[in-house]
Amino acid sequence: MIVGRGIFKAYNKGAVKVLNGVSVDIEDSEFAVILGASGCGKTTLLSVLSGLERADGGSVVCNDCDLSDMSDKQLTEFRRKHVGFVFQQYYLLEHLTVDGNVKLGADLVNNKDYREIIDAVGLSGKLKSKPSELSGGEQQRVCIARALAKKPNVLFLDEPTGALDEATGRNVLDYIMKLKKELGFTMIMVTHNGHIAQTADSVINLNSGKIVGVQKNPAPKSAYKIGW
Amino acid sequence: MVISVKDGIKLVGISIVFFCAVFVCTFFMNYYLDALEIGERVDESLKSLYEAQLATARLTCAVTGGVLAFISAIMLVFYIGLFVDANRKRLGILKAMGYSEGKIAVKFWVFGLSVFVGTALGYGLGHAAMPFIYREMSIDGLPHIVVNFHVELLFAFVFAPTALFSALACAFARLALRKNLTAILKGGQAEKKRQKSNAGASGENKPFLIQMCFGVLRSKKSIVFFVTFACFCFSSMVQMGLSMRDLSSVTMGMMILVIGLVIAVTAFIMAITTVIHSNIKNIALMKAFGYSQKERVAALLLGYVPFACLGFVLGTVYQYGFLLLMINVVFKKVESVPKYNFDMLAFFIAFGAFIVAYAFAMIYYALRIGRISVKAAMSEE
Repeated sequence: MIVGRGIFKAYNKGAVKVLNGVSVDIEDSEFAVILGASGCGKTTLLSVLSGLERADGGSVVCNDCDLSDMSDKQLTEFRRKHVGFVFQQYYLLEHLTVDGNVKLGADLVNNKDYREIIDAVGLSGKLKSKPSELSGGEQQRVCIARALAKKPNVLFLDEPTGALDEATGRNVLDYIMKLKKELGFTMIMVTHNGHIAQTADSVINLNSGKIVGVQKNPAPKSAYKIGW
Repeated sequence: MVISVKDGIKLVGISIVFFCAVFVCTFFMNYYLDALEIGERVDESLKSLYEAQLATARLTCAVTGGVLAFISAIMLVFYIGLFVDANRKRLGILKAMGYSEGKIAVKFWVFGLSVFVGTALGYGLGHAAMPFIYREMSIDGLPHIVVNFHVELLFAFVFAPTALFSALACAFARLALRKNLTAILKGGQAEKKRQKSNAGASGENKPFLIQMCFGVLRSKKSIVFFVTFACFCFSSMVQMGLSMRDLSSVTMGMMILVIGLVIAVTAFIMAITTVIHSNIKNIALMKAFGYSQKERVAALLLGYVPFACLGFVLGTVYQYGFLLLMINVVFKKVESVPKYNFDMLAFFIAFGAFIVAYAFAMIYYALRIGRISVKAAMSEE
């Protein structure tokens, strides 16, 4: 479970306040979407909840680990054990193959069966391809495989379909949701696309660094049954 | 337009290497030309020593000047490659707007300015140091050698290299811009496709950290050269400087040692800083995924250690060979030249200093790698 209480975060020595007392509760195996317009603090909230950054105030407890007082070394160790990331810009290692990129995640937990994940995202035929030889959708699927190969308890996704066209975006989203059902990890996704929010169990609406509403979704839709 | 004068003089590494090369070449060549004028007045008994002195000046000038000019040319090409890479979008947009490759490439002449700064300073200080150097190289019984100004040296050591390297910069830039527009905008991905998977195949089935290590080495092969060269310089010049106390003077030895250290440190800093800069996103990603600082540093820098050791060994062999050549060939006919054997003490001092310096450099860069923020690295595009 992830519990955030009164999270404050500011940049430029406090001049730019990004999060103003945000509190969230996300259950185990839940799929939560953080929804909001550009610049409202979504990515910062994701960074704080995942232990990429420390909050300036408030507390974050993730999988019984209190992130608020952790040192950099402890946060690194926490991310190693519990967290997976998928970024909008992919951030694949250009000089490594698909196999090598997925190993980045797999080797952290000594996962020898990581090729099953590559298979699951439909890229087993491209093991030896470099990122520059893949389409945008394929690159994003490599990112997903890389994140899942480390068997995270929580998967954080920052606009994973933001750089993709509609058809590819739906495919990628569908892959993510299938894998989530199969593996049962908690998933927190940042998006500005209101349609994507319909696929989640809960939607956290963020505006100007504050939560303006949380909706539970009793019947999440599939990636192919939402608008785009 | 795309390249400013500021970009041109930013290549401090090239300026430093050129400074060292021209500094050494200026006083040796000047000494050589001035010493030629006293040739007829040299006593027959000192003739062989006099000629050996001239040969030393010629050889040192040719070896130092030649090697350092070669290194500078590689540095310049390397820097321009990095510049084109870092500014590919701007350059691509200019190409898209209709500027010809030639028109854009001509602007790269400014990179010759860093050569001018280094050569001009080297020439000026070389001249200033000449009375002192002449005193150091004077031989009892030889007529006094007067310091003269030779305009041809000013041309050969300052203006000619500046013009030559400006032209080289333009020519290489033109070559780098010859790719198709999409390849430039995407950072040469079309070229990468051609290299395809052969690189990946060799590291397959190895743990990620080892694959990453090889990947970093392969991605910028010129860095391997610079690390090897830096350690070669350190090893050869430090050992030569220390070994020369009996063969030449302590001052000469110290001068060689200092120049060696300056070049070694410059090349090493340039190489490792480039590795870190071009891998900032990869380091940030590894940090985000939970790789420890030790693992991140190892993946990035451990691969260079064998090349650093290779550089040290080559430097040791080179300095031994060079001094043997000087004693057995150049000073062959000169009497009372001390016998030269491999200087074990100099070797151990250089080796100890090498290990300590390398370890300190690694600690410093490990701290720098540790300070890279995930958010900052990921948000810069």
